Amino acid sequence: MQENKAVVYKYSLKLMWPAMCRNRSVEILKHRPDLVDQMNKFRTKIDNVLKIICRRHFQVDGTYMMSGVRLWFESGQDCYDFIIRQPEFEWEIQPELSVMNSVTSQLQTFDIVYTPTGVTID
Amino acid sequence: MKTAYITVVGNLPVRFDMEQARRLGPVIASANSNKSITFDYATVNTETNLQDMLNSASFRGTELLTPERLFKKYVFFDGVTCLPEFPGLKSYDIDPERCSSQTLSLMLAVYLRQTIVFLVGYDISNPVELTRLKSIALANPQTKFMYICNPPRTHQLDDLDNGFCDTFIKFQELIDRARK
Repeated sequence: MQENKAVVYKYSLKLMWPAMCRNRSVEILKHRPDLVDQMNKFRTKIDNVLKIICRRHFQVDGTYMMSGVRLWFESGQDCYDFIIRQPEFEWEIQPELSVMNSVTSQLQTFDIVYTPTGVTID
Repeated sequence: MKTAYITVVGNLPVRFDMEQARRLGPVIASANSNKSITFDYATVNTETNLQDMLNSASFRGTELLTPERLFKKYVFFDGVTCLPEFPGLKSYDIDPERCSSQTLSLMLAVYLRQTIVFLVGYDISNPVELTRLKSIALANPQTKFMYICNPPRTHQLDDLDNGFCDTFIKFQELIDRARK
């Protein structure tokens, strides 16, 4: 029987665009189809990678941001796996983790600290 | 839907079907003292208890609220949530990392702004706990605190305008009335 339960995205990360696509205004992108193409391919790749890594729901935010793409995860384990598997894809995550607090309904942000044994939150 | 009632289950083991109390509104557990039902919320400020709760089937659907330091360590566990910053902690002289989990549960109940807080299995034999309960009650005159105990009825909260004590029989009556 399928569960009819609303999906709550608790965890959020920002994945930076490839270096040459960062901090480009919409005006510049209009004249640089090569960058737009690269960004679209990057989005598709993110989606494919998330499909491989995540066991629960995830979402790639559709809102355009100049620095990167916001990703949302339902499960903390998926979010952790995504962070620690970055070296495989040579992507750069902004070292900040946002967590939705269900009691206060606030998005709390913490620093991600990389250690030799994994990641910790500060 | 927001309900007017909330039940805080304290540090003492309770012999009462707490599933019934959920008919009145959310139930908050204090650490792992009671594992009888799936609570809506549970507060915990020690790592050993948190680990036990994360591995207990009865807490699988429960929101486990911990102080920030502990939360950061267990942030990737889905059921773990950071306790909100309770107003006036300094004036109560309460350190959320060191106080009892029942005090945290009580503060959470007040934070959630329910009108009546039922205290079940709440340990007031410790004078510090009783004083803290009274301080919180005095600071929140709009909230009523009903201490549920076994007969004989205690009079420990009778000096408060918004606090009173009653027995499990009365609590059961309230639940039965809500059921109708």
